[in-house]
Amino acid sequence: MPAAEEVKSSWADEVELEGGALPPSTEVYENGFKIVTEYKYNEDDKKVKIVRTYKVEKRIVSKTIAKRKCLKKFGEASNDKPGPNPATTIVAEDVYMQFLTSKEEDNKTEDDALDKLKALGDKNVVKCRNCNGDHWTSKCPWKDTIIAGGKIDDKKVGGPVGTPGAVGGDNKQTGSKYVPPSLRDGAKRGEGPSAIRRDDSYFTVRIANLSDSTTDADLEDLVRPFGPTSKVFLAKDKITGQCKGFAYVHFKFRNDGAKAIAMLNGYGYDHLILTADWSKPANTN
Amino acid sequence: MKPIMLQGHERAITQIKYNREGDLLFSSSKDNKPNVWYSLNGERLGSFNGHQGVVWCIDVDWTTTRFMSGAGDRTCRIWDCETGKEIGCITSASSVRTCMFSYSANMAVYTTDKAMKQDCEMFIIDTRVVDDSTGQQDPILRIPIKGSRVSSILWDLDDSIISGHENGEITQWDLKVKHLCFSYCGSKHYLPEENFFVNDMQWNKDGTMFITASKDHTAKLFDAKDLLLLKTYKTERPVNSASISPIMEHVVLGGGQEAMDVTTTSTRVGKFDSRFFHMVFEEEFGRVKGHFGPINSVAFHPDGKGYSSGGEDGYVRVHTFDSSYFEYNFDY
Repeated sequence: MPAAEEVKSSWADEVELEGGALPPSTEVYENGFKIVTEYKYNEDDKKVKIVRTYKVEKRIVSKTIAKRKCLKKFGEASNDKPGPNPATTIVAEDVYMQFLTSKEEDNKTEDDALDKLKALGDKNVVKCRNCNGDHWTSKCPWKDTIIAGGKIDDKKVGGPVGTPGAVGGDNKQTGSKYVPPSLRDGAKRGEGPSAIRRDDSYFTVRIANLSDSTTDADLEDLVRPFGPTSKVFLAKDKITGQCKGFAYVHFKFRNDGAKAIAMLNGYGYDHLILTADWSKPANTN
Repeated sequence: MKPIMLQGHERAITQIKYNREGDLLFSSSKDNKPNVWYSLNGERLGSFNGHQGVVWCIDVDWTTTRFMSGAGDRTCRIWDCETGKEIGCITSASSVRTCMFSYSANMAVYTTDKAMKQDCEMFIIDTRVVDDSTGQQDPILRIPIKGSRVSSILWDLDDSIISGHENGEITQWDLKVKHLCFSYCGSKHYLPEENFFVNDMQWNKDGTMFITASKDHTAKLFDAKDLLLLKTYKTERPVNSASISPIMEHVVLGGGQEAMDVTTTSTRVGKFDSRFFHMVFEEEFGRVKGHFGPINSVAFHPDGKGYSSGGEDGYVRVHTFDSSYFEYNFDY
């Protein structure tokens, strides 16, 4: 305490304090503008001169409005001077109305692009993967029907697995195209690797809305109480190594997974609320 | 456009309203002092000091002589617009959620919350003479509201009242039939589920249609005569307020993710823009950014050349449209 007083008693400081009184603020009216000059100390205790310029306008309005314009200010504003008080009224930054273009227009531009590509000459520039038509796959008119048809095909093929001859015939129909090993007649379609995968994912729990700072160790600590796990995968950014907000936990037993979901869904962890559910196979999306 | 920011409030804005001519803008917030501003330059004319709680609702009469506010301190107060003095105070059993003057301002309505073992009730009071005795007078009419509470209210001239409820219901009350009221049309804003309540209702210029803003992410345009649903404006966030342009076929919607949900969802922005829809084609054509939180109240200037919005961030932003707004042609 005494030390602080000593510092303050420096005569130079005292002079500065006495002489530091702010000049009074002024208001000047000049050809349609009101100029207000104020002096203030900023955060660094430096004197700052603030000049505000207002445009003074005259408008012709109805009597009632004119009468209201001359009302005496009241309440919190009773001590305000005429004109806007800079403490309560601020001119904000410029904002613009963003006009949205309609959706039909978007479609049109895409079509134009397609037409241009077609005009280039090559007929097969765009080819649908479903029906081989000359449009984008995503815009295939047969999209839904083809997918449905594909499923029926699957069943047809899955039925006669035991009779290689029939399946071979099927394959010949598809021509000389490359068939991945998993889809060749030798592979068991129904209970093939995909089925195993699905079984596996049955015990996989997806935990989402994890905070950025979650680490592998944190996640393991979080799920360990529920039971043995075969794999704990935390999605991380390749470059920064930060958590991307979700994780997959492979439980050895289904019960443990269910327990984990019951506990963790809606659980507050590191100021965020987690969501947990069975992991869904990618193809259902 | 350069908006004027009004920061006379310390807490979230609950409602903003222009007077009939549009030269004054009234604002109320969750602090206890409603304010009044000159809409042209943002100068504060004054504040109405006296409430001791959240001010939920405000209204100003046709001639801008009296101002009414209802608050969480269980009072509904009537003020003199010119001096800011309180001229009448009515105490109710629970907090006052909505209030409005009738068209002639000879009557006023206010509704109370369903809280503290009190049921929601609608009171219609005589406001021809407002003085100290107003608080002791019996209301002209007292309507107990069974079911869900009233969350917004509108007078249709002096004849009927339209109330929006917490479950999304909209009811019209006819006051002429032997002073017995009945709800002759209940039009659902949405399926009767919880939390779809009607946050706000506003008239169009000539009082033939009104727009409702609901938590079910839509705003709807209704015919005032028979509560016929005319149009629906869909967004992906709760809508807190909606207003109809007096000169263009435009509506503006204000809303956004609820403040209580902001922390529980990840870093995506909450979409706190004012959104402009074409009134007839129900299609969004423009957005204006600015608020840091959800918008709680929007209002078109009565001349249609500007609009204001009040947000959860405690600011009121007064916008005057650029020429680009008037030059914009909606493609159809």
